[in-house]
Formats: sequence, C-alpha cells, structure tokens
Amino acid sequence: MTRRPITLTVNGRAETVLAEPRTHLADLLRGELLLTGTHIGCEHGVCGACTVEVDGAPARSCILHAGACEGSGIRTIEGFDADPVMAALREAFSAEHALQCGYCTPGMLVTARDIVLRLPEADEARVREELAGNLCRCTGYRGIVHAILRVLAERRAT
Amino acid sequence: MTEQGVGASLRRKEDARFLHGRGRYVGDIAPRGLLEVAFLRSPVAHARLTGIGKPEGAEERVFAAADLPEIGPIRANSALPGFRASDQPALATGKLRHVGEPIAACLAASRAEAEDLAAACRLDYEPLPAVADMLTARAPGTPLIHEHWPDNAFLETRRDEDLSDLDAVAAAKVVRRLRTARQSMAPLEGRGVLAEWDPRLEQLILTSSTQMPHVTKTGLAECLGLDEGQVRVIAPDVGGGFGYKGILLPEELVCAALAIRLGRPVRWLEDRLESLTAHANCREHHYIVTAWADAGGRLLGAEVDATVDAGAYSCYPFSACLEAAQIGSIFPGPYTLPRFRYRTVSACTNKPPILPYRGVARTGVCYAMETTLDALARKLGLSAEAVRLANLVPPEAMPYRNLVGKVFDSGDYPEAVRRAVAAVDVPRIRARQAAGECVGFGLSVFCEQGAHGTSVYHGWGIPFVPGYEQAQARFTPDGVLELRTGVHSHGQGLETTLAQVAHEVLGVDPARVRLVHGDTALTPYSTGTWGSRAMVMAGGAVAEACRLLGERAIAIGAALLQAEPGTATLRNGAVQAGEASISLDQIARTWFRHPQNLPRDVDKGGLEVTAGYRPDPDTGTHSYACHAVTVRIETETGLVTIEDYVVVEDGGRLVNPMIVDGQVLGGTAQGIGTALYEEMPFDAEGQPLAGTLADYLLPGATEVPSIRIDHMETPSPWTRFGQKGIGESGAIGPPAAIINAINDALAPLGAEVTDLPATPARLLAAIEAAR
Ligand code: FES
Ligand code: FES
Repeated sequence: MTRRPITLTVNGRAETVLAEPRTHLADLLRGELLLTGTHIGCEHGVCGACTVEVDGAPARSCILHAGACEGSGIRTIEGFDADPVMAALREAFSAEHALQCGYCTPGMLVTARDIVLRLPEADEARVREELAGNLCRCTGYRGIVHAILRVLAERRAT
Repeated sequence: MTEQGVGASLRRKEDARFLHGRGRYVGDIAPRGLLEVAFLRSPVAHARLTGIGKPEGAEERVFAAADLPEIGPIRANSALPGFRASDQPALATGKLRHVGEPIAACLAASRAEAEDLAAACRLDYEPLPAVADMLTARAPGTPLIHEHWPDNAFLETRRDEDLSDLDAVAAAKVVRRLRTARQSMAPLEGRGVLAEWDPRLEQLILTSSTQMPHVTKTGLAECLGLDEGQVRVIAPDVGGGFGYKGILLPEELVCAALAIRLGRPVRWLEDRLESLTAHANCREHHYIVTAWADAGGRLLGAEVDATVDAGAYSCYPFSACLEAAQIGSIFPGPYTLPRFRYRTVSACTNKPPILPYRGVARTGVCYAMETTLDALARKLGLSAEAVRLANLVPPEAMPYRNLVGKVFDSGDYPEAVRRAVAAVDVPRIRARQAAGECVGFGLSVFCEQGAHGTSVYHGWGIPFVPGYEQAQARFTPDGVLELRTGVHSHGQGLETTLAQVAHEVLGVDPARVRLVHGDTALTPYSTGTWGSRAMVMAGGAVAEACRLLGERAIAIGAALLQAEPGTATLRNGAVQAGEASISLDQIARTWFRHPQNLPRDVDKGGLEVTAGYRPDPDTGTHSYACHAVTVRIETETGLVTIEDYVVVEDGGRLVNPMIVDGQVLGGTAQGIGTALYEEMPFDAEGQPLAGTLADYLLPGATEVPSIRIDHMETPSPWTRFGQKGIGESGAIGPPAAIINAINDALAPLGAEVTDLPATPARLLAAIEAAR
C-alpha cells in the first residue's frame, strides 16, 4: 500500500513521517516514532490504554487515523516530563498503589490529568464516571480513584 | 519490623518506569529485519481440514503444519488414572477443533500486510457437527473430537460414599443446579512472542509475555527437539497474567521454528479479537449439588456432580483436568464436612482449551458451596452467618486435616465471618427489606491453598512438579545487592517485596537491591509465578540466600575488623564487632577489588550464593477470607448495584500490606466481573459471540465499588516469615457473595439466580419465572 507523508507535532517536535492510509495514530507513535509508552489494549476504542492528548484533549489513538492528525499537536506519556500536574499525579499514583502491571498506566495518567484540569471540584462518583473509558484489569480502580482525588484535594488546598 | 523490611507498606520500586511510559513489553521490542506474523485461524469449531491455498506469489511467506515438520505436538498428559492422552498440534493437522485454532502463519513486514496475506489464503474443509455443550458432549452418537477416544471426556474422577441414609435424618435437604460462564481472562496486554536465532550462541532467544519463562523453555526444547541450552526465554514487562500467560503457546512454537528457519526475528502480537475468541478459555463449570443439614444448620453430607468444559486440548503444563479434578479436593472448602461423594468430568468440547484462571476451580466451587449453604439457611430459617459458624473449622482444630486430606495451616475462620458481619449494618438492610426495598445481603467464606509444592503436584503427574525454589543473592563490586529469581513479576511488585525480604535479612537499603527476573539465562530454574506461590517460595529462597550471603560477609568483615570469629554480627547493613564496624559495601569492595586484604581461610565461593527453599510441610498455605456484600436491585430493569463490599482477609504475615491490598482489590474486581458481567457465549455451532470489549464486558471504575478491607494476620507456622499465598484470593469470593446477596434480595419474590453472570436478562428471567 502506498505511504503518504504526514506532518504533525509530537511532544513539541515537528515530525514528518510516511504512513499507509490505514495506519492508526497509536501504531504511528509506537512504530515510526519509537514512542512505546502509548499502549494498545483493544484497537477498537474501548479500553483507553492508547489514550494520548490530541490538540489539548484526550483521544484514543487506536481509532484515530494517523492521516487525520495532519497538522495536529500530539502529546504522549513521554511528553509530560515538565508538567507539574503530571508530576503530582505520578507521585499520587505511586503513593496510592494505583498501578500494578503498568499497562493501563500511561492512558490512565493522560485521562487523569484531563480530569484534574477540567473538573477541579470532581468528587469520587464523578471521577469514577470520567474513568469509565479507561479499563484496568489489575488494580480494581481504588488506588487510581484515590490518587486522582488526592491531587484534586492538593490543588484545591493551594 | 523495620520501616523498609517485612511488614512495611514500602512504595514500589518498579513504579517509576511505568509512570513514565518506560515499561518494556514484547510489543515495544522491534529488532532490525523483524517479520510480523498474522495467524490464519479456524473459522469453524469442528471440521476436517482438507487443504490450504496459499496466495499466489506468497507461497514462501505462508507456513502451514506441513511446512514446519520440525515442530512436534504439545503433550500435556496427566498420570491420574483414566486420563486420556491427546496431542495438540501447533498448527492444525487433519482436523480443526475450535474456532481460532491456528492453521498457518503468514509473514510480512507489518502486521497489517500479514493480515492481508491471511485473508487471501483459501481454506478447504468439511464441516463436522460441533460439540458445543459440555453436558451433552458424552452422549452416544456425538461426533468424537479426538477420534481414538471412546467419548468426549479427558477424565472422570469419583469419590464414593453411601449417603442414602441422610434423607431420613436430615432436617433439610437442598438440591441446586448451578453454572458459571466461560470467560476470557483478558489481561490488558495480550500475549506476544518475539523469536530470534542467535547464530553465535546457536541459541533461540524467545521473548514472550509469559508468567513462567523456565517452563516455556523446557516445553519449547521438548517440542522443537532442541537441547535446553539452545533455548533462552525472556519475559520482559508483562501486562497482567492471571493464569492467561501460564502456558506453552502453539504460537510460541511456530514463531520459534520460523526464526530458526529464516534466521530473521519473527514476532506475533495477539490482538483483542484473538484474545477474546481464540483464547476464551476459563471458568466454565456446571454443578448439581445436594446437601443435607441438621436443624442447627450443621452439614451432614454433600454430593457434587461437577462438569467442567475443558475445551478441545490439554494445555501445557497444567493439563485439561487440573480444574475439574481439583473440585473433588477443594469442595469441602473451609468447613468440617463429615461425609462427601462426588463425580467430576473434564468434558472435551470444540472450544478453546481451558487454562487455570486466578482462583482456578475455587471460584466455581466457592460459588456452588456458598449458594447451597444459603439455600439451606433459607430452608431452615437460619441466618447465613449462623450456618457458616456451625460448619467452619474452628481455630482450636488447626492445623486441621479434612476428610479429603487437605491440611489447613492456621487461622480463625469463624472470626473472619464475625468481623465481616459486624462491619455491615445488617439490621438496617432487614429494615429496608421490610419497607419493600429490593436490597440484599450476602456472604461467602473460603480458603485458598497457595504455594503447594512437590508433595501435592507429583500426584498429578503433569509435565512439571515444583520442587525447591531457588534464588541467587550476590553483591556487585560497589555493594549493590543483586537478587535473581526464576519467578516473574507482572504486577505483583516482587521487585519491591523481595528487596524488603533482603533488607529484613541483611539490612541493605532496598534502594540498593536489584531484582533480576524474567530471563532463563540469568536466573535459577523455577516453575514460575502461579498458584499464589511467589511470595512464599521466592520470598523464602531469597531470605535463605541472603542469610548465607550474610554469613560469608560476616566472616570477611570479622577478619577485616580483627575480631574474634563468632563475635561479629550483621546489623543495619554493616558487620559490627564491639565498637568497630565495616559496611557491606566495603566488604564487597574488598572481595572484588582488594582481595589482598582477604583472610587466608576466606570462603572461596565469594559473595554470591544460590539457595533453595521449600516450606516443610509443603502442602501449601491456606489464606482465607469472608466477603460480605450489599446489593440493590432494580426489579424493572434487572440492574444490580453493589452498595457495599467488605473483605475480611487473612494472608498470614503481610510482607507489604499495601501490595496485598492491591492484590485483593484487583482480584475482587475480577470476581465482580465473573459475578455480573463477563461471559463468552458460544452458539450451537461453537462460534464465540463476543468479539470486542463492547460485547465482553470488563468491570470499569463505575462497576467496582470502593471495597473495604480488614486484615487478620495469623502467621503460617510453615513459611519463612509466616506469610501465606494470597494473590488469587480476591477473585474467589465475589460470585458467591454477590449472588447470595441477590438471592437474599429476591427471596420475597420467590426468585433465585443460579447461573453466572447475573446479567439483567438473567435476573428478569428469574423474577418472571417466579411470578
Ligand atoms: S487500544 Fe485504543 S481504546 Fe483500547
Ligand atoms: S495496572 Fe495492569 S491494567 Fe492497570
């Protein structure tokens, strides 16, 4: 199949890569761009393991055609090192034992950061509802929910 | 307890890499020249395979069984009397026996192109009637799946005891027919295999998402006719196991053979459709339980007729019969059952071969026993709690040997029930019921045998028997402590907990301890991570290796301090004699870098020790728990909401309570899935009907409540620190407790649910049937 060039910004860097029209964003990130922190759990938009930030909002990279991302700004788990909210979430995820095998974790963190920024007043029920699109098979979610609530509470206190 | 040793909720050492997306799973590894594999799989459940047409021009890139004669069949026989042997071909030969069975491997530079190739293949087959129902699989005239067998069953086991007098003396008798659904374990990362041939070492290097790299190595060598030295298996980060990755895969054999043949790296990554359908492989049980009790709720006897749908083949290493045959030995559960009769059948059907899923047969057995006890309680007008307390093994009887020979090590089972009930406002639930609300309360109690070893497994006669677990402890020249274990950690946090064990013994800072695991070239042989065994077995082995290493360090340290032998001790990571002390770092430096300073009689084994460990007796630890659940039901829609969930759990001494909680919570979430959501239905033709995670429902954050956990800590008298295996426990109790709560809520309507999962459709049907 023919490959076409796609230009996009990934973690702040402009990239031009060749991809087949059928290539989804997750494969492009993990393959061409070596950003394997974005995981693939279902490739049909249910599990959330592939969640990345596209133009500032979380999106499932497995059901986004790479070609549809022409000109977009993508941020993956590898692109949040300077972000204070992500730093607080990482700290809270570890303190609350919000991860076991780590496979859901990058997607969870991208979703969690969006919840923290978008819903500063969210309570437990709301956090759980917002997490409905991210599956974790290991933790039973309690640690994840507590970690997000912890960061929300910290931010409200400052 | 120290702040970082056994008993500390130390944060996980492994977290950092996962939080930054730096975990390294099979799918993240792509060597130069990689070829991706897509499997052409059987579209039908039962057929005679008559031909495979390869796409024109692609003949060299499609490999069927005839193209890979170097792969021998997988054989996982059991020595249990009457077990019927069968072969599982890595690629189908002659017959197709379940939907999704691999037929040919198609290779291309990308997975998408490999799938194009698979789609272009032509398949010729003559359909045969499918055997899709385990209960009729043995009926006369049913087509035989393995044609050299007299009927479609791997094994039948029995225990005969005449119970015919019980009808006359019992105050209550109940009979229940119960069913659990076929499930897909669905770790978030599927399986994956990367095979490479190293021409320098003449060695196959197989990187696989597996829980048991050493067993996989043995199986690969056997089936490929290689020496074990020619095989190295690496398990990198693994995205969840739960039993799903405790198997030698046909796909591993095929990728390995292709890499050897082609001299190129070959990779297969399971996608979700393959995982859900081709590998829907666990939990499908059917029970008919009869139980008799006296007026006080004391069991007089029980009879169980159990059938497990074992699927089409016997998987390596656990075999097709582990699940069903175990039912006989674990059905009495935590109770003092006085009389017992059973029959179990491992039925052979045209479905994917069964694997032991977290809890193995216990989830089904606990469901059967506990719902039966509640039925007895309702019949006798007793509380669920009273019936449990009348039958549980009392603490003063520990260690207790039950009527089928299981030995429970320690614990206060009745106290777990009392604590769980005390944690819930049961009178308020009763008041709400009296006011007409459809709410219910349910209990389940169970114990879990973990870390059972040689004495238990040699009797099964399956391809492996766990023996002494070994671990290696060694210092690097700069004083870092390296631990090497054959068990693998894929979420359990062993990189942390084994460092805690080392700290407990040697006083080394856990930050200066590294765990090497998941590589057969670097670690001692082990049967791997299964059976809730890692913390007991590897924990014991690491402790022993560290103790011996400590003795060597003390001898060197004492000499360097010019202390009398026997006066030096190891404390806080240093050897001390009187006021003088020398750190383990300095001792390591002396051995490696300044050997001129070593005493003449130094142990020439140096600062590197391999030690073996096995508890004595090795019949296994028994953790136990009581789950107490409150549910609310919308009778119009059949929707069940879990209002409250309490777990009272005894895992003996907890090495890291935070991590144990995580295991209990995660297991319980999976059990909630088994109880309410997860089901892989098959139609009469043996076609799996749930192909996406939108059809096969995994519990999400809104389905799993905030579970409350209370720990009791009764040490096991048999293990190094008193720890018990507890990794599977959470997944055992939920279906029983939840369905008991549902049936408590439905009791005023005269309705009862008996089949899992208790979906809205099943609830509405039960309510309708009672009208
Ligand atoms: S991999 Fe994208 S949602 Fe599951
Ligand atoms: S930590 Fe394993 S899937 Fe979430």
